[in-house]
Amino acid sequence: MKAVFGILLVLIVWHLLHFLFPSSLILPGPVETFEVFVKILNRETFEALLSTLLKGLVTTFIVIAVGLPVGFVMGISDRMYEFLRPLVTVVQAVPVVSWLVVVIFLWGIGWQGPVVISSLSLIPVAVFTTVSGVRSVDRKLLEVMKVYRVPRRTILKEVYLGSIWPFVLSILEVSSGNVWKAVVMGEYLCGDRGLGVLISWARQYVDVPRVYALTIFTVVLGISFERSVKVLARRVWKKWRLS
Amino acid sequence: MRKDFNGMKVIENWSFSVGKGDRVTLLGPSGCGKTTFLRIVSGLEDFQGKVEVFTDKIGYVFQEPRLIPWKTITENLMLIRRDPDKMASLLEKVELKGFENHYPWQLSEGMKQRVNFVRALLVDPELLLLDEPFDALDLKTKMKVMNLLVDLWQKRRFSIVFVTHNVKEAVFLSERIFLLSGRPSKILDEVELKEKARDFTDEKLFGLEKMVIERLLSLLR
Repeated sequence: MKAVFGILLVLIVWHLLHFLFPSSLILPGPVETFEVFVKILNRETFEALLSTLLKGLVTTFIVIAVGLPVGFVMGISDRMYEFLRPLVTVVQAVPVVSWLVVVIFLWGIGWQGPVVISSLSLIPVAVFTTVSGVRSVDRKLLEVMKVYRVPRRTILKEVYLGSIWPFVLSILEVSSGNVWKAVVMGEYLCGDRGLGVLISWARQYVDVPRVYALTIFTVVLGISFERSVKVLARRVWKKWRLS
Repeated sequence: MRKDFNGMKVIENWSFSVGKGDRVTLLGPSGCGKTTFLRIVSGLEDFQGKVEVFTDKIGYVFQEPRLIPWKTITENLMLIRRDPDKMASLLEKVELKGFENHYPWQLSEGMKQRVNFVRALLVDPELLLLDEPFDALDLKTKMKVMNLLVDLWQKRRFSIVFVTHNVKEAVFLSERIFLLSGRPSKILDEVELKEKARDFTDEKLFGLEKMVIERLLSLLR
């Protein structure tokens, strides 16, 4: 119910702002945007949505598949941390436009660019979150393992991996909120299909209401995915009673 | 043996031996290095001096249960030693039969502490280290676990090193008690208990407890 009131508040503020700036070129009103939103509920938009969704899922997979092992190794070995930290920090600091040049030279316009750009912008966060996870492993549990001479491999699998689960969920939560923004931006800059490409076309035709309607699509997609991940995460938290 | 923490002396020149099958208690105030001593013996702490441990089959009942929260009781125990029959038998002895598939958060502190005992006994220890493990247990369970330890000790004659500040527990469980001073701690005296109490209601226990308290007070005066 509170969410409904929140959405209503956004619509009211939006409408008032449109009243102050009545130009559709600057801020189309909610009614006009909704009309366009209904109009673009067609095959083309759904294909774009599907393309963005797939890129988002692939990106999330890459972020977990790269960020988790790299963060894990950096977390358990100080030497590896010192060795890899500069690289990860540099990747984190490089502006997206700089990646754009490399990506366009390598793959041109296509699906690879948005996936690579969004992965690179999210992997460092995943790496450093995993490092924190590994380092926060309960020392007391490690002492138990040491006293009872549990093999190192078992400790890594049963204690470390178990301990970083909450951090994996946290990476998923953070990524799920940001991945869509990153993918749509990547599509906008160097994609051949997807919501970002449609937004780019609408911008070229100065079709601002369409830009807004497509943005709503992206926001709905992002919120739905983030919510789903949160529900999943809450179930796991509940099972372990760690929260 | 000596142990300093950031230049502050905690343990000052302790020297004693524990033979195979001995039951020894280190009795002293909080912060006198009792737990540190057990950590040293089990290889968890650095120190100055020399400690020789005659076995690597060590069971350590920690002060707190230290169970992996996302694993069931069975999974926690199997990680230490895969012996389902022995595990089942020990869990039954500490009245935890039926809780094998529970997670630690589903058990009370006392129940978790009993799992801690089972874990230590599961490895068939030749040296059992007990770090004030009875505080979380109610009187009935405490007596049950203590009797279980004594029974097992009579059958297997493993060595027990027990640290506590509880005189009654020390007197009941051990044959020799080392009385410790506060920090930096020294061994003030060694009390040998020739008589043994049968249980917590045995009159002998009160007499022995009184004797140890009086000795301790005379040393601290």
